[in-house]
Amino acid sequence: MPLFLYIDRATFVHRLNPIVKVLGMLCFFVAAFVSQQPAVMLPVAAGIALLIGHAGALPNVRRLRVLFVVVFIMTFVIWTLFYRGGVPLLAYGPIGVSAAGLRFALGMAIKLDTFLGVGVLFLSTTKIEEFAYALTRVGMPYKLGFTMTLAFRLVPVFLDAAVTVVQAQRCRGFNFDEGTLVQRMRRYVPVIVPVFMGALRRADGMAMALEARGFQSQRSRTAFEHFPFRLTDAVALLLAVAVAVLYVVLWHLGYTAVPLR
Amino acid sequence: MSGASTGEAIRLAQLSFRYPGQAGLALDGISLSIARGEMVVVMGASGAGKTTLAKCLNRTVPAFQSGTLSGEIALLGRPLRDEGVADLAGTVGLVSQDFEAQLFATNVIQEVVFGMEQLGVPADEMKRRVPRVLEAVGLRGFAHRDPATLSGGEKQRLAIAAMLALQPHILVFDEPTTDLDPIGKLEIFQVLAAMRRQGYTLVVIEHETAAAAAADRLIVMSQGRIVADDLPQRVLSRVEFLQQHGVRPPDLSRLAARLRLTPVPRSVDEAETAVRRGLGTGDWGLARQTAPSSSAPNFTPPVLVHADDLHFYYESGAAALDGVSLTIRSGEFVALIGQNGSGKTTLAKHLNGLLHPSAGRVWLRGIDMGTLPINHVAADVGYVFQNPDHQIFAASVYDEVAFGPRNFGHSAAEVAARVRDALEAVGLTGLEQDDPFLWSKGHRQRLAVASLLTLRPRLLILDEPTTGLDFAEQLRMMDLLRRLHAQGLTLLMITHSPWVVAEYAQRGVLMSEGRLLFDGPLRALLAEEALLQQAHFRAPDITRLGRRFGFTPISVDEFVAAFHQSPAPSPQSRS
Repeated sequence: MPLFLYIDRATFVHRLNPIVKVLGMLCFFVAAFVSQQPAVMLPVAAGIALLIGHAGALPNVRRLRVLFVVVFIMTFVIWTLFYRGGVPLLAYGPIGVSAAGLRFALGMAIKLDTFLGVGVLFLSTTKIEEFAYALTRVGMPYKLGFTMTLAFRLVPVFLDAAVTVVQAQRCRGFNFDEGTLVQRMRRYVPVIVPVFMGALRRADGMAMALEARGFQSQRSRTAFEHFPFRLTDAVALLLAVAVAVLYVVLWHLGYTAVPLR
Repeated sequence: MSGASTGEAIRLAQLSFRYPGQAGLALDGISLSIARGEMVVVMGASGAGKTTLAKCLNRTVPAFQSGTLSGEIALLGRPLRDEGVADLAGTVGLVSQDFEAQLFATNVIQEVVFGMEQLGVPADEMKRRVPRVLEAVGLRGFAHRDPATLSGGEKQRLAIAAMLALQPHILVFDEPTTDLDPIGKLEIFQVLAAMRRQGYTLVVIEHETAAAAAADRLIVMSQGRIVADDLPQRVLSRVEFLQQHGVRPPDLSRLAARLRLTPVPRSVDEAETAVRRGLGTGDWGLARQTAPSSSAPNFTPPVLVHADDLHFYYESGAAALDGVSLTIRSGEFVALIGQNGSGKTTLAKHLNGLLHPSAGRVWLRGIDMGTLPINHVAADVGYVFQNPDHQIFAASVYDEVAFGPRNFGHSAAEVAARVRDALEAVGLTGLEQDDPFLWSKGHRQRLAVASLLTLRPRLLILDEPTTGLDFAEQLRMMDLLRRLHAQGLTLLMITHSPWVVAEYAQRGVLMSEGRLLFDGPLRALLAEEALLQQAHFRAPDITRLGRRFGFTPISVDEFVAAFHQSPAPSPQSRS
């Protein structure tokens, strides 16, 4: 079962220099982060949606649709109820619903889904090798960069192992859903221990396999792929930076905030 | 890599290794010389020192394993001093059993170039080598695939390609086929044969005697020493010796010992000729066809589980089960066979409610399983997962086995009684306070069985109960299952092992592409040669030999018994 998000294609986004992808992702994060108003957020969200469509990453959004929907609804409901300020339209004790609250909650929901979308776009179009390359180019030591990206690669593997372990323990009458929170935490020991031991074993096996293929060798490394910095990369990076700067300026001038009434 | 190169590839002198805290030596003064271009297979029981030996050859021991190493290793005439694992990357390649842990890149090309990048191979040269090594392992056209989407055999071949890209002259394989299904095993054996023709020096640790027969030399290890080092044919004909050292003797060797055939036939064809020659001299004759007494009970046992027209679809829309119906009756011993991806595990997980069908229903003793909570089902249907490490979590054997009954809220006295019974059933009595994490795979597998027996299920499902065990452990596991079955437990096991199927199961269910190809008495299944071939399952050699004579023996004993005036049965051969 394919567990990873990367989609091997050659779209405009895929072909961008990895450094541009990493910095571009950061720029979009900044733009989404400083925005509160749904109306201000929408152009960023729409831009990401367009890029996702263009890069052929829609299947990944579909795979993660539950996550997108749950994050959206949860965020919207929680912020609607707990937003303080604005004139309440409805109130029940400390909980109230105001027009400003609704707008703020909608903005937060779009913001978090935008974060998710940016992440999906990045992981769908960037090989972990490119990610490692970009991290080393921005100054991170190679081994650290490689290990970090390897962790990304392993997350789905461990999630998969956890699913199997949960099934194995359920066959022995293991029940998740009873008891208080503390009792439930203790209940997870039969799941956590096998997953953790498996992770250790896997890490050990990987370390041996990596070294058997020359990782840690004293020789100077070469690169199979070169990532030239093209004119399109420069333009894309400039655009992304411009978006981020624009949003920071708007935020500074107070245009991105939700007015209280 | 031409076969013309001569001289020594590997030389070991008095190589010893002791794991910290262990009294005995893991390697006990191994001296060995392997010539360039030789293919050597190493066999032996678990704990004989095979893996330690393999790891010494590329310095994984002692680099990743503290302990005391002494003696000398020379590779290609150069003695090893303080080289690290990475320094030997272009000299010796180690491919291990766990193919998952050997792959970490986003696509096949990246996987192959990773090592070359580390060793500073120029980009032009990498571009030349990539297609060459992919071709060598039969993965042409896979360049842009995500390794995670490959089958087990493909993953292992990719791991081999990644090693070949570094152009080591010596390749060491540590049980490369143990976790593979029959097709995957065949793929690896083909790659090994091709590499042998190209003149690589190959050291292969294997449990399968099929691999050994193709080698130049066969080494058997026991307790850190080499106890046999000879032509494979000679070693493989020593039936008693092999059994003693945890290796399953080939069917045809056992047959040769029983019928005094010399030389030992190397294939079913040769065996057929030899047996026909014996028949021709009139020494033996084919006994009257005794149809195996089908001990059909005169009453029909009650149905335990009934699956009715199951369909199950993956998220992608592909069908894992495509209209499967299966009825398991009390007291049956069923083998569920088929390639990986044929739907065996998916079907088995429907029988205890771990998965719910997209369409169709499962009935547990007449009750719709969809209406029962999983822990209700768990009391009736036990499920032993393939890898015991997916369930073992407790610090003591007692707590591990007690986990199930405690979940059901049984009293301490009841729990103690159930644990005692279960441990006794699997032969682990007296080890209640042991730490299961320190145990061998064979012990852990039996512990996993015990921890489900404590729930006193009516039906026990086992997913590949013998995978990763040596022959002695496999026999112990299967004899345990036979005993449990005799005591009334109904069994369904998923397995790829032909002799386990033939000698233990009573009913065979064959799956392919989400459908049942066959469901009936085991002997009838073993006679369906075309169907078995379609599902890439090979009946045991002795069964295939019997088919040449018009019957379907499930063991060497049965084959021999079919001939009158057969020589006196030798006591050491097992049924």
